[in-house]
Amino acid sequence: MINMWIAIAAAAAIGITAIATAWAQARIGAAAAASLAEKPELTGTAIILVAIPETMVILGFVVAVLLILRAGG
Amino acid sequence: MIVPMTRVRILGPREQFESTIAAVQDFGKMHLADASPHAGVTPARLDARTERRRRYLLRLVDDIDEARRALRAPPSAAAPTRKRGPTPAELARWARLARRTREAAVALRERETSLQEERALLDRYREFLAAVLPAVRKVKDSPRLTSHAVVVPGSARAALAPLAAALRAELGAEFTMTTHALAGGDVAVLLVLPREFSAHLEERLAGARVPEVPLPAPFRDLPLDEAVPRMLVRLGAIPPELGEVAGERARLLAERGGELARARAAIGDWLAIATAHERGHVTAHAFAIDGWVPEPAFDELAAGIARASGPTVVVESVAREEWGAEDAPVALSNPRLFRPFEAMIALLPLPRYGSIDPTPFVAVFFPLIFGMILGDAGYGVVLAVVALTLHHRSQPGSMLRVVTEVAGPCAAFAIIFGVLYGEYFGDAARRAFGIPALLVDREQAVLAMLAAAVALGVVHVVLGLVLGAISMARREPRAAIGRGISAVMVVLVVAALLAAFDFLPARLFTPSVIGLLIAFPVLVFAEGLIAPVELLATFGNILSYARIMAIGTASVMLAVVANQMVGAVGSAAVGLMFALLFHLVNFAIGLFSPAIHTLRLHYVEFFGKFYSPGGTPYHPFRHGNGAAGLQPREVSR
Repeated sequence: MINMWIAIAAAAAIGITAIATAWAQARIGAAAAASLAEKPELTGTAIILVAIPETMVILGFVVAVLLILRAGG
Repeated sequence: MIVPMTRVRILGPREQFESTIAAVQDFGKMHLADASPHAGVTPARLDARTERRRRYLLRLVDDIDEARRALRAPPSAAAPTRKRGPTPAELARWARLARRTREAAVALRERETSLQEERALLDRYREFLAAVLPAVRKVKDSPRLTSHAVVVPGSARAALAPLAAALRAELGAEFTMTTHALAGGDVAVLLVLPREFSAHLEERLAGARVPEVPLPAPFRDLPLDEAVPRMLVRLGAIPPELGEVAGERARLLAERGGELARARAAIGDWLAIATAHERGHVTAHAFAIDGWVPEPAFDELAAGIARASGPTVVVESVAREEWGAEDAPVALSNPRLFRPFEAMIALLPLPRYGSIDPTPFVAVFFPLIFGMILGDAGYGVVLAVVALTLHHRSQPGSMLRVVTEVAGPCAAFAIIFGVLYGEYFGDAARRAFGIPALLVDREQAVLAMLAAAVALGVVHVVLGLVLGAISMARREPRAAIGRGISAVMVVLVVAALLAAFDFLPARLFTPSVIGLLIAFPVLVFAEGLIAPVELLATFGNILSYARIMAIGTASVMLAVVANQMVGAVGSAAVGLMFALLFHLVNFAIGLFSPAIHTLRLHYVEFFGKFYSPGGTPYHPFRHGNGAAGLQPREVSR
């Protein structure tokens, strides 16, 4: 039973953060693409802005791994 | 590093103004600035005759540029070596050449565009026309029949069958209908019917809002049975005509391209001098030119001006106290090994003069982090081979050459980490030959990799804070102290945590905590109440390096799955093909994803601690920089 909850928690940790990242990147990516069409010199800034939300899913992944490895024994 | 600059001022008698500007252009290393304002000194103006000449030359440049564009001439790399402006005879010849070439080249371009549009239009119906040609010929042989071609929108396709049935019932066996789906989803329809019914059909089609095929203009008034064969013949004749246009353009380029390029460069030089002239300041008897030169080139400038203008023209260095660092132009100069990594700095605004050029740090940490993430000797070797191949095929100075030069060190680190992780195309070598990991098995030791990634984050971020402290020391001493204290606090927090979890001797815990308690108020004093929030953000930055582990683990898992396909999908050959395909996909992801994330770690986590953007690019006033000469006021204040 505990293992089931650990698995659900790990899935939630990565699933919710992945959805949040996808939502943020979709909006930022569209805006960045539009900006780059007019100002190609903003490439560096665009890369930064698009990559920033990925921190969420990466930290979600780390939490999921810790849950499985530590709590799951 | 950012090349140290010296602000220079050239002073001399008014009559030597022009010759001195020419000498500065010959020198080729001075970045012009507007002269400092002084009482009695006014900006230099071009006289009316020179201003007229400039307008004339700008029109000539417009003709040359348009002609070269129409001829698709490659960018000219040849810099003019002449030390004097073009003669009137040369200008007259170039003007005639440019005008004639522009007219011919633009006419060729318009003809080519027209042919391409005609071909695109005919191509659109080519299949349909070819399919209906037999039916059209049959109609031609029969004096009683006529043909109509119509296009029906895809959405009305369902109405065709009832329409055909109704017309067949009305007209009998002489009525036939041929349909053909067009690329855009519409349906082209050929109707063959008795000639006397033609007017009635057109009424019926008009009532049904079905448009007729819009034939190209030359064929619009011809009957379909004549138009179709002619259109097919015309379609075949267009490629040779396009070839003729291309041949004529190549001939023009070969005959006149070189002369036009030389003319463009020489005129660009003259225009650059005119712009430089306006940047100088004059009195009734003297002139002043201000600018910047790289520090080591100052003596060379002074010697060059003395040779060209004699002892009456003086080159002096402006004292450092008289100019602000933000005014100086920025040129980066790094060892050859580091130079390709300047391309990564070029994606951001230039660093300000007096701040730190991050290129050497990027050159070390970018390949290191990339290799740590990819971490596969097999993929590393493939990347090295691809990079070497492309390097040999690329032009020096091209973007492809830069990419391959960055890819080389990245491949080397990927191979090194691959050996340490024991990864050769995932676990392929371990499965086949039992080659173990020398340091850590990423597939199993996820937590160890997480710790290593965060440890690298600590080193990288603390280095960024230290660089920030050094960079700000002169301009913002309090902020510099804040950066330094932040770096110390990060180290103390890490030491306290390691001591608390017995990775360091427990006796270090108490001194670390005491150190933190002392450092905290100093930090708040130096950076204000926002400092604790920024310190927390710094720890967030460090945790962000966990992506090194996360992306690396995802990559190795994909490679392992690829290897498991061999033997899991029926025959070994099919499994091997799937495995190779999967490895190819993983390799592509393995190049793209680590590169983007490593860039992000640099731009956000590392640069955020010290990078100070806003530098003015260094544009020396020299020969062959004609385009810059056309842009007024493109140099710094």
